[in-house]
Amino acid sequence: MDVTMNDVNSGQGRVQVRFVTSSPDIELPEGKRQLLVPTDAGRYKLSQLLNSDYMLDTQAPIPFDFLTNGTFLRTTLDEYLVSQGLSSETAVELQYVRSLIPPLFEASFEHDDWVSAVDVLSSTSPATTWGNSTISLGQERILSGSYDGLLRVWNKSGQAIATGPPASAGGHTAAIKSAKFISPTQIASAGMDRTVRVWKYKESPDHMSAELKPILELYGHEKLIYSIAVHGPSNRILSAGGDGKIGIWSMDAASMPAAPATLLPSALSTKRRKLGTSTSTPQRGPLSLINAHAFPVSSIIFNPLDPTVAYSASEDHTVKTFDLTTSTLVDTRTTMHALKSLTALPGISSQLLAAGTMARHITLLDPRVQAKNTQVMTLRGHKNIVTSIKPDPESNYGLVSASADGTCRVWDLRSTRQGTKEEGGVVGEPVYAIERQKEKGSQVFDVCWDNDVGIVSAGEDKMVQINRGKGVTRPGEILSN
Amino acid sequence: MATSSSLKKRKAITHDVPEASDVDSDIEFGDGLLEGILSQSEDDSEDSEQDEESEAEEDEEDLDELSGLDSDEIPSDDGGLEEDGDGGMVKNNRAKVVSTDSAIGQIPLIEDDDDKPNYTVVEDANGGERYVYDEIDPVYDSDDSDVAAAMNTIGNIPLSFYDSYPHIGYDINGKKIMRPAAGEALDALLDSIEVPKGWTGLTDPATGKPRNLSQEELEILRRIQKNELTEDGYDPYPDMVEYFTGIEEKMPLSSAPEPKRRFLPSKHEAKRIMKIVRAIREGRILPYRPPEERQEEEDEEVHYDIWQDEQPRPEHVMNIPAPKAAPPGYDLSYNPPPEYLPSKAEKQAWESADPEDREKEYLPTGYDSLRKVPAYDKIINERFERSLDLYLAPRVRKNRLNIDPASLLPKLPKPEELKPFPTVSQTLFKGHEGRVRSLAIDPSGNWLASGGDDGTVRVWELHTGRQIWKAKIGDEEAVNVVRWRPVKDEVILSAAAGEEIFLIVPPPIANPEEEIRSRELLDTGFGYAKNETQNLTANGARKDPAGKWIRPGARLEDEGVLIKITVRSTVKTISWHKRGDFFSTVSPTGQRSAVAIHTLSKHLTQIPFRKLLGAPQTAQFHPSRPLFFVATQRTIRSYDLQKQELVKIIQPGARWISSFDIHSGGDNLIVGSYDRRLLWHDLDLSTRPYKTMRFHQKAIRAVKYHKGGFPLFADASDDGTLQIFHGKVVSDMMENATIVPVKVLKGHKVRSALGVMDIDWHPREPWVASAGADGTCRLWM
Repeated sequence: MDVTMNDVNSGQGRVQVRFVTSSPDIELPEGKRQLLVPTDAGRYKLSQLLNSDYMLDTQAPIPFDFLTNGTFLRTTLDEYLVSQGLSSETAVELQYVRSLIPPLFEASFEHDDWVSAVDVLSSTSPATTWGNSTISLGQERILSGSYDGLLRVWNKSGQAIATGPPASAGGHTAAIKSAKFISPTQIASAGMDRTVRVWKYKESPDHMSAELKPILELYGHEKLIYSIAVHGPSNRILSAGGDGKIGIWSMDAASMPAAPATLLPSALSTKRRKLGTSTSTPQRGPLSLINAHAFPVSSIIFNPLDPTVAYSASEDHTVKTFDLTTSTLVDTRTTMHALKSLTALPGISSQLLAAGTMARHITLLDPRVQAKNTQVMTLRGHKNIVTSIKPDPESNYGLVSASADGTCRVWDLRSTRQGTKEEGGVVGEPVYAIERQKEKGSQVFDVCWDNDVGIVSAGEDKMVQINRGKGVTRPGEILSN
Repeated sequence: MATSSSLKKRKAITHDVPEASDVDSDIEFGDGLLEGILSQSEDDSEDSEQDEESEAEEDEEDLDELSGLDSDEIPSDDGGLEEDGDGGMVKNNRAKVVSTDSAIGQIPLIEDDDDKPNYTVVEDANGGERYVYDEIDPVYDSDDSDVAAAMNTIGNIPLSFYDSYPHIGYDINGKKIMRPAAGEALDALLDSIEVPKGWTGLTDPATGKPRNLSQEELEILRRIQKNELTEDGYDPYPDMVEYFTGIEEKMPLSSAPEPKRRFLPSKHEAKRIMKIVRAIREGRILPYRPPEERQEEEDEEVHYDIWQDEQPRPEHVMNIPAPKAAPPGYDLSYNPPPEYLPSKAEKQAWESADPEDREKEYLPTGYDSLRKVPAYDKIINERFERSLDLYLAPRVRKNRLNIDPASLLPKLPKPEELKPFPTVSQTLFKGHEGRVRSLAIDPSGNWLASGGDDGTVRVWELHTGRQIWKAKIGDEEAVNVVRWRPVKDEVILSAAAGEEIFLIVPPPIANPEEEIRSRELLDTGFGYAKNETQNLTANGARKDPAGKWIRPGARLEDEGVLIKITVRSTVKTISWHKRGDFFSTVSPTGQRSAVAIHTLSKHLTQIPFRKLLGAPQTAQFHPSRPLFFVATQRTIRSYDLQKQELVKIIQPGARWISSFDIHSGGDNLIVGSYDRRLLWHDLDLSTRPYKTMRFHQKAIRAVKYHKGGFPLFADASDDGTLQIFHGKVVSDMMENATIVPVKVLKGHKVRSALGVMDIDWHPREPWVASAGADGTCRLWM
């Protein structure tokens, strides 16, 4: 290898580089990891070098990004050495990772009203993996919940396969705020009508049409529900209510108590309300209702590795940890701002939480009890409320956030800088920003990042928009090659 | 005698010249010609006077004499022949003189000789002429090439020795000094010239003939030359005629009698003398005192030495060092690097700027070479200015007062330290047609209610800007005010359009439990009201009730509007009591019934004031005590509702109060006025404002304190902006409130001179919502 590099650039300064990676499928053989590289090489040149015949010998070139000391190499090696004050004698360890491809606009599906919730069913989505069922490639489904109270299921070509029943036929009586696939045949949704509803989803054999049938209506929240979380194997649904309460629900109607009578719409004896009377959907109350927060709970999630633990974020500035088996509050973390969204980053330690704030940034928190420094990092770049955050399914360090400023931003936790005095701590910056295709600047309410489908976002422009980095080679494909 | 004198003269002149020949020639013409000249010339004395004059003058004089001869010849015909002969003699004489001249001062002639062979003409390569000059041999020990080069080196021997040779001696280089050949040639020239008398050489342009001077003119010229008066027969010293003498005339020129005053003593003088005499007698004028006495007196006088304590001072205290000039930069170069050269726009800006405003006094200009740099065009100006400075500027040391203006400002914390406060527009609420007149955020902080010119009341989701519910309550009238009932258990919204006040339970945001509670609360009063009216009729009071509480009809009831209260005039403000049972309304045009207090549980409307001073603008309940504040155009009065008495009159000094708000602590008050002022009152301190702020360009429409724990307040103005203030109230009585303006929020457009109509704070977060005349509401956070 030294010989080849000598041929290429005999006049340049060279530096000893050691290539390492955390992905086993693109690991270099032991003998090829050390290399003398010309110092004027930047990311592109290094990526070319790794893709060459001598090194990885990939069929299709994989674009790589390089990390040194936990940050991305954005300059040439020479400039990096100078900026770090290193001599060219030292060996540089370069960790190479698949680079994020700029997510390009693919499609958008038009709705009748604002779209507030979106979820994806694909071969890698949690709803599929829980049930050990398989979704063949191309049969991915996109679920959207809209402000008109209707659920819609779309195939990838943009056809609404199924539309949920209207309010008169057992549907939501007000806007939907959150909707999730529980399994390929079950859907949960919640919204401003203060109910969580569970639906049976059944596709026709030709996959061109489907039926959504309400199974359960869950009552218990006194105010609207902002967010739900589902866990298939344990049959649990969590809901975050505007009344500051967290509801724990089961999908098994038999195991649930009866619905509180005062909260049922039939409690209103006035003539003008003829709601939910024609259907006979079972109505149930919560397994447990934890009065957790003083102000509305804006987001709730399961711990992705341990379904007995849940985290909630609230407008009262706190992130709380719950033990679901005993329905008790375990831990409270207070931040500086009202929180609007929450997600867990499973790859790092399963304990790092990213919370989107009303103050236009994303705070990374370590919710473990023993952790003293709660606020790990701040991601700055949004110009308005961060409404939704989802982790990157491929990377342990990536995440995508949706904001009311009309953009979705893709972040990589390794792309950081030291914050200014006012910002404090470590500050991350977005790698990419996805604009709305139709109405620039209109609010984005929900986002979902799926391996097969890409980044799916929904917003005020009445669209579900799919963006995807084209040409990203998936690990599986490389292995098969 | 005359001959001998002339002889002497000649000798004196030509003493250098070999004497023999000279004397000979002198004798030759001396006898004949000189005699004639002397006898015939009028001024004989002159000749002897001019003896010692230089030879050049002598020469001229000779010429003069010649002309004189000529002139004399014309009248005397007898000497004609002789004259001819004499002429030749004269020529001879002249030749001699000239030769002697050249013998003494050969310089010009020899130089002329040397000049000629100074160069040789050679044909150059092109066939043209080329002058090849001789080498210049500098004289030894001399750096002056003009010094006379040739000197006759023959020594002290008579020149006549060389008479037979063509040269007259040798120069320092041993070259022959050639005899000047001028003698005969000059004579020949002079011979050829026949100068007529009075010849001027000018031509009369009228006749074309030569213009000669006449005899009279020549005489005038001669007199001028002699410094005489040109007029003939003028006597410079005539005899004196004595017209006035000191001798008394026997026969005086005037026969007037002598005046009386000549022989009468003057009364005026006598008067003056008597004055002095009297003064002396009275002792006012003292007789002369000898100087010794005065000296003694002077000795007794005390003299003060005012300089005795003077400290020696250093000389030249005016030594103020001149300020050091900055060293010249690159842009001062005649050819500065291109980055120092101004761009076109900069150049234009510099030229258009007033000379005093310019940052630099010069414009950097690039020239290719030093040769192309023009003369400095401002040199005259600058010299003149400098002269003026020196001439006009007094050399006085100026003691500048060096005070940092920032140090005079009061110490206020920086806005960054006072975070959080709203900074950006976060949500836009679009939907209203026409102005949004009023808005309110509900006690839970999730919903925003707004009402506007289109007669609708709308409820929005606060963070998304989604309209959840709307109802049209005013058919023609605009909704002037919307306010939530400040109790969390029930969801009741009050709104006023025209003379009607509505109480609403917006269905989508209330859960069934809340809705039932709210409806029950609103309905309980109906039974009471019925009893009340029965009581009234029983008492015989036929008065029209101040407010009629009725159901608004099925259409509105279906939408959630449950109660309509009709009062006597247009309601502009609603203000709820903290506990939610009372609310007050103000209708500024309502005269006596302008201020009304409504009781929700009893469906009762009361008019608390029998008589009001001025038109009330707005009213508010005190947050903790049973006080009620009513603002008229100029004052705010606070009444105790329990004791039913006036407690305090607050005088903000504003011309027209638009709104006011009471701090949740209860001791402070902010007042906004249409004359652009925002006034902070400390109720314990004074009835006058503690602080007056005038930061808006237009009228202030609304002011609001944050009621959820943040030390913030905001105002909204017709100039389309909101201003956020940090106003911290300390419980310590000794400490004043800190008021710092922290942010101006711009975003609302100004429509027909109206900007922001109303504001409301979020109940717990530092967020503020504003209603704009542009038909939108905004949430700022």
